[in-house]
Amino acid sequence: MLQPYIPILLLLVFVVANAVLIIGASTLLSSYRPTAVKRAAYESGMPVIGDARERFSVKFYLVAMLFIVFDIETVYMIPWAVAFQQLKSMSGVLLLEMLTFVVILGVGYVYVWKRGALQWD
Amino acid sequence: MSGAQPDLVAANATVQALRERFPDGFLRSLVTSGQMVVYVAKQRAHDMLSWLQQDPAQRFDYLTDLTCVEYRDRERPLEVVYQLRSLARRADLRVKIPLDPDGPLEVQSVIDIWMGADWVEREAWDMFGVRFKGHPDLRRILMWEGYAEGFPLRKSFPLRGHWSRAEQTRQALQTNPEAYYSLEELAIAEAYHELPADVRDRLAKAGKVLP
Amino acid sequence: MGLSPLPEAAPTTHETISPNWITTRLDFIANWGRSNSLWPMPFGTACCAIEYMATAASRFDIARFGMERQSFSPRQADVLICAGRLPFKLAPVIRRIWDQMPQPKWCISMGACASSGGIFDNYAMVQGIDTIIPVDVYVPGCPPRPEGLLYGIMLLQKKIMGETMVDPSLRVEQLVGPDGLFRRPSAIDEISEPFGNSVHQTRSG
Repeated sequence: MLQPYIPILLLLVFVVANAVLIIGASTLLSSYRPTAVKRAAYESGMPVIGDARERFSVKFYLVAMLFIVFDIETVYMIPWAVAFQQLKSMSGVLLLEMLTFVVILGVGYVYVWKRGALQWD
Repeated sequence: MSGAQPDLVAANATVQALRERFPDGFLRSLVTSGQMVVYVAKQRAHDMLSWLQQDPAQRFDYLTDLTCVEYRDRERPLEVVYQLRSLARRADLRVKIPLDPDGPLEVQSVIDIWMGADWVEREAWDMFGVRFKGHPDLRRILMWEGYAEGFPLRKSFPLRGHWSRAEQTRQALQTNPEAYYSLEELAIAEAYHELPADVRDRLAKAGKVLP
Repeated sequence: MGLSPLPEAAPTTHETISPNWITTRLDFIANWGRSNSLWPMPFGTACCAIEYMATAASRFDIARFGMERQSFSPRQADVLICAGRLPFKLAPVIRRIWDQMPQPKWCISMGACASSGGIFDNYAMVQGIDTIIPVDVYVPGCPPRPEGLLYGIMLLQKKIMGETMVDPSLRVEQLVGPDGLFRRPSAIDEISEPFGNSVHQTRSG
């Protein structure tokens, strides 16, 4: 019953074998002639200053977290909208529930806003 | 050219005003190729140039160029040449400071009068060895920082340099172009505390004036 | 006039395996691939760079010789084309870029200034990049016409086709020596001597 998936398995095997062959063959057959200058980072012919690994601002992380939270809120609204369509009889209760949900998250939004997390600088 | 005559009328007025105001600094003036040239003494040069920039009748607000010239006749002085322009009055003036080529080559920097004098004074230092007192960052600009062969545009400097080609090549290959740059030039001033120690040592030599 | 061959320039081959039919076939395939897909690193400094751009553009088109992708990173380049004069200030830069190119690598010196210093026989210019890096093909001209550069590229392709895998000395990294020089000092002085009209310089002193 898994008959139609055999080609996919074959494809997987071929892909892995191909990758291993290419990387393995070039590792075995290539020549590696490193010198100190050759291995140094390329900086348009100048000696390297500083490290390439710079620190990132923590604001990126903060914006990502906020996005996740409010995006999930939006995602929860979508099945609610679908269900709303089917349960039109209790529309008042449904609306009130969703409003409560939004208000709770809205409190969090106001907190974030007042704390200045929405300011980039 | 048609505009030459009115230019010289205005230039003559400038020369007269300079002569009256700075009798000790004014040496002589002449006209060459339609250009007014004024020779001033080293001691009063800065005051005269400052007056030329600020006086409402003069207003030479643009320093077109700053350079030096050394003549083949050993009797002629080495001159520092300031090419001035008044953008509002559309007037040019050339101011020259004669210096003894064998004596100390030092004049007052005009960077406080015209900000554009920054790099042109560095070029005059690099090529002729004329020191500009008061310049905040007088170091070589065309040749590299540790260039020790001399001042290339002096008449005493041979065209191919003093040293052999092999020595020049060795010197060139061993220079580290970034050792003497300032932090602002490298745009890493904010990250200074994160640099490794040897890089900080190299950068600590920034701003050094080398002979 | 300095025409004696420099010991460094004399060809030295020492073969490890004795060449046979298989090595020659492998040589042919490898060299064919290498010579027809040379990715240039255009080290253009001055006027010759404009002629290089003209050669790379549609009328003369080095792409049909395999130089489709200009690589401005030495890591992905096969041939360094030095197009233009080289001041002493730029000497450590080109040396470093040459060192950072992985083998196999070749160098084309384009123009009179890169080959010998050109008209700039003075305190500031390198008298030929072969005092700093090993050069395979010299293309004279000021600047060379695109046809000249194409001829130089084809010469390099012929040179590559003549290479062999049994000679490891071809792929040895020629580094700057401990004295800070790439060639012997006497060799640098010899090849930097003025010639032609340059010997009539009377403006010094």
